[in-house]
Amino acid sequence: VRLPRHQYLPAALVTVFGPALVTLLALFTDDSVVAALVYVLAIITASLAGGIWFGLAASALSLIPFNYFFAKPENEFGFATGEDVVVAVVFVATALATGAVFDRERRARAALDAAAAGARRLQQSAEALSSAVTPAEVLDAVLTESVAAAEARAGLIAVLTEDGRDLEILAQRGYSEDRLRNWHRFPLEGEYPLSYAVRTGEPVFIDSEAERIRRFPALPPITEQTHALVCLPLVVEGRTIGGLTFSFASDQEFDEERRAMKVALARQAAQALDRARLYEALSTAEQRMSFLAEASDVLSSSLDYEETLRSVPQLAVPRIADWSGVDVLDEDGAIRRVAVAHSDPAKLDWGWEISRRFPPRPEEARGVAKVLRTGEPEFLPEIPEQLFEQARARDPEMAGILEELGMHTLICVPIRARDRVLGALTLVRAESARPFSRSDLDLAMALADRAGAAADNALLYREAEQRGEAARALTYVGDGVFLLDRGGVVRYWNRAASLITGVAEEDALDHLACDAVPGWELIEEHVRPADAGAGELARAAAVPVALGEEERWLSVVAVDFGDGRVYAMRDVTEEHALEQARSDFVATASHELRTPLAAVYGAAKTLRREDVDVNSQVGQTFLDMIESEAERLNGIVGQLLLTGQLESGRLSLAETECDLRELVDNVLATVAVSAPETVSFEVEASNGLGPARCDEDKLRQVLVNLVENAVKYSPNGGTVSVALSSTNGRARIEVRDAGLGIPEADHERVFEKFTRLDPGLTRGVGGTGLGLYIARELVERMGGTIAVVSAPGSGSTFTVDLPVS
Amino acid sequence: MSADTDKPPSMSAPADSVQLRRVLVADDEAPIRAVCRVNLQLAGISVDEAVTGNEVLDAIERERPDVVLLDIMLPGLDGWQVAEELLSETQTADLPIVFLSARAGREDIRRGANLGAVDYIVKPFDPTTLVDRLEATLARVAAGEGEQLRQELLEST
Repeated sequence: VRLPRHQYLPAALVTVFGPALVTLLALFTDDSVVAALVYVLAIITASLAGGIWFGLAASALSLIPFNYFFAKPENEFGFATGEDVVVAVVFVATALATGAVFDRERRARAALDAAAAGARRLQQSAEALSSAVTPAEVLDAVLTESVAAAEARAGLIAVLTEDGRDLEILAQRGYSEDRLRNWHRFPLEGEYPLSYAVRTGEPVFIDSEAERIRRFPALPPITEQTHALVCLPLVVEGRTIGGLTFSFASDQEFDEERRAMKVALARQAAQALDRARLYEALSTAEQRMSFLAEASDVLSSSLDYEETLRSVPQLAVPRIADWSGVDVLDEDGAIRRVAVAHSDPAKLDWGWEISRRFPPRPEEARGVAKVLRTGEPEFLPEIPEQLFEQARARDPEMAGILEELGMHTLICVPIRARDRVLGALTLVRAESARPFSRSDLDLAMALADRAGAAADNALLYREAEQRGEAARALTYVGDGVFLLDRGGVVRYWNRAASLITGVAEEDALDHLACDAVPGWELIEEHVRPADAGAGELARAAAVPVALGEEERWLSVVAVDFGDGRVYAMRDVTEEHALEQARSDFVATASHELRTPLAAVYGAAKTLRREDVDVNSQVGQTFLDMIESEAERLNGIVGQLLLTGQLESGRLSLAETECDLRELVDNVLATVAVSAPETVSFEVEASNGLGPARCDEDKLRQVLVNLVENAVKYSPNGGTVSVALSSTNGRARIEVRDAGLGIPEADHERVFEKFTRLDPGLTRGVGGTGLGLYIARELVERMGGTIAVVSAPGSGSTFTVDLPVS
Repeated sequence: MSADTDKPPSMSAPADSVQLRRVLVADDEAPIRAVCRVNLQLAGISVDEAVTGNEVLDAIERERPDVVLLDIMLPGLDGWQVAEELLSETQTADLPIVFLSARAGREDIRRGANLGAVDYIVKPFDPTTLVDRLEATLARVAAGEGEQLRQELLEST
């Protein structure tokens, strides 16, 4: 029986003073009964205070005076009688019995105290744990309590990684960094005590180094002095989340009680850790949310595409990574770094240096190139050593830069916009930091998504601006432009389209083309859309479209651009009419040229016949014919040339003094030569007609045309008269015939180019349809006017008014 | 004088069966009529002349020619109308028409063919070969190849 040290002194005092008291009583009272009582009390007190041995000592010491003073005189000193022996035996027995009883009680009390202390410690650790909110705090609480109980020297907490394959040390205390260097992560399947405990859910208690070596030979000593070791699984609600290890500074003996306490401690630690992790996850989530919100604010502050992408690394450093970069894929397929950020400004340049000196090749199987190509993120919690070795093998300098950058753990995520990869965001942490986790990857992807959305916004804005400009341009363009979607619904209808077709924008938009676009069937039939994708050039087709009462010719082009078709149309009614007239003119002119040509050619051919004599009457007639028909040809050619000059504006006027009367006489004389005999000519001239200033040749041409016309349209003969007068510096020339006349509706038309009245009305009326056109053009260029008064059957009068002074 | 004697040998075979006696020349241009008349008469062929569409119909009614040389741009009824008129009358429906025109467009030639013409001569033309050309055409008409001639005209455009 072991005694508490503080009980020795009172026990010794009782042992000494008990017998002394008996001696004093014997000396002064001589009462053996009282002395015996004191004697027994002394034994009991000594036993109580000091245990059996003190009781026996007190008994032996008391027996000496008791016997001396109360023994029968006859017995002298010593155990004289058997009675005395009995008394002595009783005393000793009493001492023994009393000591034994008190010893048992004292042991029970000590056990109770120990249990209370254990409970108190658990209570304390529970309290400490309940206020711990991070894994480090949990460990701190657990170890503090253990160390306070003079138990563990060091401890650590490890948790299962997300894939459940490894254990990752979250926090430790008492171990040197050096010792734990290679133990940040270790496999769950490893033959290590903690792996075993976590794997099996059984606590591992190792009393000594010898036992550890026996049970876990694979575990290298993590301290020089390895003694007892306890490894406990951390289990919450049936889930094992990790393990707890305590190392002791000496060999230990773990009894049931200590084991139970450690297990209870582990249970508490597990709950606290779980709660701490939950708390951490929540606060991390909250931080991330606020980080992402802030990132979104920054990213959306610019509407410039590249500027938006450039701001991303600044956001990531230093909150997520130590180093960050953004690379984009240029249109030519090259990878270009647009931004770099480093928590250490001194190392910032290395980030640029590395991309400049060792640009990623688009076909590379790893890293930025792969992410840009595939759109899949690259996640390297621990950059494999072999990658550094490859870099070293490729270029020792590059390896040096990599070392400078201190790359340790890497994430590279795509920056996407609408299924297109715009760029790649790379995040790197230095060796000192924790490896990237899945949730870091999630955060990086969320950041990249926001960056992508912001960059996409910038792109859309730019496109919208361009579209806006294009739309503005289309609004004011002179051609009618409209756009159909794949379903044939009108999606755009510009102002010119409304002006050309008379269909208002609101009546066209969102309607089917066949309902909204006039003449759609013809347009669809005649206009073949060019394929924009194949780079085809659109070909315009002219389509007659009924617009209201009249038919207009529209030149329409269409381009198919995949998502729809764009049509452009132009009103070419005038051009079409002109083209028609021109083509009619060519036919007419060629006919007019061929007729005299046929006469000349036929006459010449005939004259060459052997059986035709040139000097015969027939021969002479044919020669005359050749001459006159050649002149006719010359006249037609002259008219054509004059028309060309008028149209090109190359005609110049040369004003001279001229006598109008003389001019008219000359013209009439010339025309009369080839006029039928049934036509007669006369001139009426008012008195006082002076010389006039005008271009004589041009005026002659006008008059020849008017007089020849008069003759031509007088198939039944009659008088063609020319009247001359002048007032206020203007001369008036009227050419009158009594011929076929012109219907009112054609009065304006006769002056138009290529217009000829129905030749069926007349006898032998040919012509280019240019005579009156030329006459009017020339008169107007001379500053005058020309007009006609006529009715069918009652002849025509053409009046020319000219300024002549 | 027989027209046959002047012909080149190659043209004599189909012409043997044709006796070209009378041709109606319808044209408002006097020089063209004169050129045709002189060359036809030198081959011993009688020539009638018409200046307007109505004169053509009158002349045919007066004496039916072997062939009509028909200009298109005639005053009054034009050549097309005359051809339609002739085609619509049973007595004249089989009268061979040869257009003689300065209108050389393919539409004109097709139109002529569709109006039953067996030939279409474009001005200017060589009047000295006119007789041969007419006789050769008429020989084929006589041989029942009138429809084929029309087809050839259509295909020539």
